[in-house]
Amino acid sequence: MERIKTKKDILEILCCPTCKSDLEIEIKKEEKDEIITGILICKKCKNNYKIEYGIPNLLPKKEKNDFNQ
Amino acid sequence: MIMEEKNIKKIVKESYSEIARKKGCCCCGNFDEEEIAKSIGYSKEEINIASEANLGLGCGNPVALANLKKGAIVLDLGSGAGFDSFIAAKKVGDTGKIIGVDMTEDMINKAKELANKYGYKNVEFRLGDIENLPVESESIDIVISNCVINLAPDKLKVFKEAYRVLKPDGKMYVSDIVLLEELTQEQRKNDELIAGCVGGALLKEEYLKIIQNAGFSYNILYEDKEISKRRQYQGFNLESLKVELYK
Repeated sequence: MERIKTKKDILEILCCPTCKSDLEIEIKKEEKDEIITGILICKKCKNNYKIEYGIPNLLPKKEKNDFNQ
Repeated sequence: MIMEEKNIKKIVKESYSEIARKKGCCCCGNFDEEEIAKSIGYSKEEINIASEANLGLGCGNPVALANLKKGAIVLDLGSGAGFDSFIAAKKVGDTGKIIGVDMTEDMINKAKELANKYGYKNVEFRLGDIENLPVESESIDIVISNCVINLAPDKLKVFKEAYRVLKPDGKMYVSDIVLLEELTQEQRKNDELIAGCVGGALLKEEYLKIIQNAGFSYNILYEDKEISKRRQYQGFNLESLKVELYK
């Protein structure tokens, strides 16, 4: 039987929105299998994506800059 | 990104941020959210699952069309406050998962807040752009999307991305507004019409062509012309198209 998925498992089905490579996770704070604070790092395009309050900000970097600047 | 596309995203983001913050639909006139949900195919039970997440912004019920199985991995494009994601979460159970992607921060925050409040363990919301999905290739069983793709400036890119992330036997269920008659240039540029799911909508034939160009085959499941009676759509020759896409 398939085991119950945790929120950490869900974070595995992801890729860098900018270059589509795999992301690595640096966990800073977690609670009950959920990553609350951390950074997702793309080794290929060197972009970083923050996880804050349990929400990963995976807007593509160029566009994110477009909106914020 | 060209200037015009950037502006469309800005208009959409601002408009939906406002909706998320004030809870409620900007443009539905006399109907309340529950009436809207009923009119587009949600059962009373489904509405009750996530009434706080129901902002009356859909134009169909893609979860019902998708016939979700326990354990399925589902991606919700433009998940908003999470209404469809939460209904889907109940259907796929603890062994399944739902990933909601939305570019509007206030919507994602609201969805996340509701997920915490009601203890959804199998739902994750990501701030992201449906034209550039932060989702691994061939990882998703079912993609759903409800009245969102019309808002995206580059619809071909959205469908190509959905195609990329779907498993080879995966399927996509879309409910979206399509036009049956072309708009004027002025209407195309009208901010309110863009945010209201009209200004960015394509002609039905054009929309289906784009789906094919992205690599999908499709079945039209249902075409709801009654939706044009809703206040925000009055005066426009359009319909809500429900379509099943497969690789």
